Amino acid sequence: MEHGYWIKSKPVYNALVWHEKATAHLIIAKNQGVLVALKLFQQRQPTQPVTLLYAQDGTDYAKTLNKVVPAGLDVLNSEQDLLVSLKNIMPNMRMGLRVYVAGSEGFIWSVAEVLKTFGVEDADIMKELTDTLARTIYCVHCKAITHNITTNIGKCSGCERMLFVRDHFSRHLGAYMGLMIDAESPGELPEIEEIYP
Amino acid sequence: MSMINVKVAAIEQVTPLVKHFTFVKEDGSSLPAFSGGSHVVVSIDIAGRVHRNPYSLMGSPMENEAYHISVRRQENSRGGSVFMHENVTVGMPLKITYPVNLFSLAKKGRKHILIAGGIGITPFMSQIADLKRMGANYELHYAFRSPEHGAFAAQLKESCGDHLHCYIDSNATRLDLQALLSDQPLGTHVYVCGPSPMVVATLETARNLGWPENHIHSEQFLSPPIGEPFKIQLARSNIEIQVSAEMSMLEAIEAAGVEADFLCRGGVCGRCELDVLETDGALLHNDHFLTDSEKASCKKVMPCVSRAKGERLVLDL
Repeated sequence: MEHGYWIKSKPVYNALVWHEKATAHLIIAKNQGVLVALKLFQQRQPTQPVTLLYAQDGTDYAKTLNKVVPAGLDVLNSEQDLLVSLKNIMPNMRMGLRVYVAGSEGFIWSVAEVLKTFGVEDADIMKELTDTLARTIYCVHCKAITHNITTNIGKCSGCERMLFVRDHFSRHLGAYMGLMIDAESPGELPEIEEIYP
Repeated sequence: MSMINVKVAAIEQVTPLVKHFTFVKEDGSSLPAFSGGSHVVVSIDIAGRVHRNPYSLMGSPMENEAYHISVRRQENSRGGSVFMHENVTVGMPLKITYPVNLFSLAKKGRKHILIAGGIGITPFMSQIADLKRMGANYELHYAFRSPEHGAFAAQLKESCGDHLHCYIDSNATRLDLQALLSDQPLGTHVYVCGPSPMVVATLETARNLGWPENHIHSEQFLSPPIGEPFKIQLARSNIEIQVSAEMSMLEAIEAAGVEADFLCRGGVCGRCELDVLETDGALLHNDHFLTDSEKASCKKVMPCVSRAKGERLVLDL
């Protein structure tokens, strides 16, 4: 990739820090994202009420979390359960709530999709990327979404075309644009390399 | 900059200090479409000197036969508003810019809280037309000095009904910003237009309550302040210009025949920004556009409202 290459649509993720001004905090984390949540509590214990939704797939951090998060902890067994729980608590939230999300890119944007339906916009959410750089791609040919692509070129789960993974990102779809790499010379593929481990 | 030729179709005294002007195209054709919250810059010629002042469009964006603005008479200013009140008559031709919107509604907002102080009601008049058309959830909070200063209060009561909340200083009814902004549903946006203390109080209250920055909107046009005269040098045009006490830097540049970019002329939009090549004294930044660190760096200046103190100021123009 060319030096200095940058595309505006590509999301930039940061390290989570507390918003000092808030009336409540909501942290949503999955897998390694929970370490980021714990890191927040290492910074300080905020004065405002905190809700933490945590989906665990691997290591069990629930015990540690129980000690650190005074109240408002909800440990879920899957991303699906977490999103259901999120939908249940959001109607009670008011302006002044600050939202933090940590996890894989796929997770972050699944959460953002739910939050959007409650009036929380992309720019309002602080996000930290953990676990993997794997991308979700959207096939511009058949419109299928394919998850967990770690290579520069990936196979579409819908039409099986080989898609070049672009940096062009859709916040609406939570996916990068994928377009057929060998449209002009069928079967001629550049080397497939893992670049999003 | 291309301008629209209009003529004054009607003038109405709305309050002791506010006049409402209706403009139509001079050739009778339709005016350009605009969105709620837009403004135009009106050019007026006072004794050979061109004043250009921004005014919010108050009419419905659905109507393109006429534009409506309201002007509050400002006694201690450079005369633009007094001229509009005393010298502009029905039938008079005027030049205005195309509408520009620096105060648009957040279309994704779930709820919209509009806060107006005095003449700051004007941008909301067109926004309300948009909100009603969208069927949006909104509240209008309108504060003014005394009943006779509540320009458009009756008209708004009719069009907004229960959405309108009035606060009248002389009746000691006050807007409690803290109470208003501390219990709002997620996805609410707040918009404020009015006198400086009201704008500052609203911004601070919302920020302190943890409202995200992109949910907070304000508009406050400044008129160029009167100050000490000073000199500027335009490096590319290779001329020196005297900026008189009552003139803004931008007006002095234009009077010297140098073309400079502008949009709002009120220190809001950032379009007229100029690079400062050299300065030996303080820059008197009056705009709302540059950040505090940009102001401190003295590398940029907004000539529409800012001034300088010192012997030498060289601009990249």
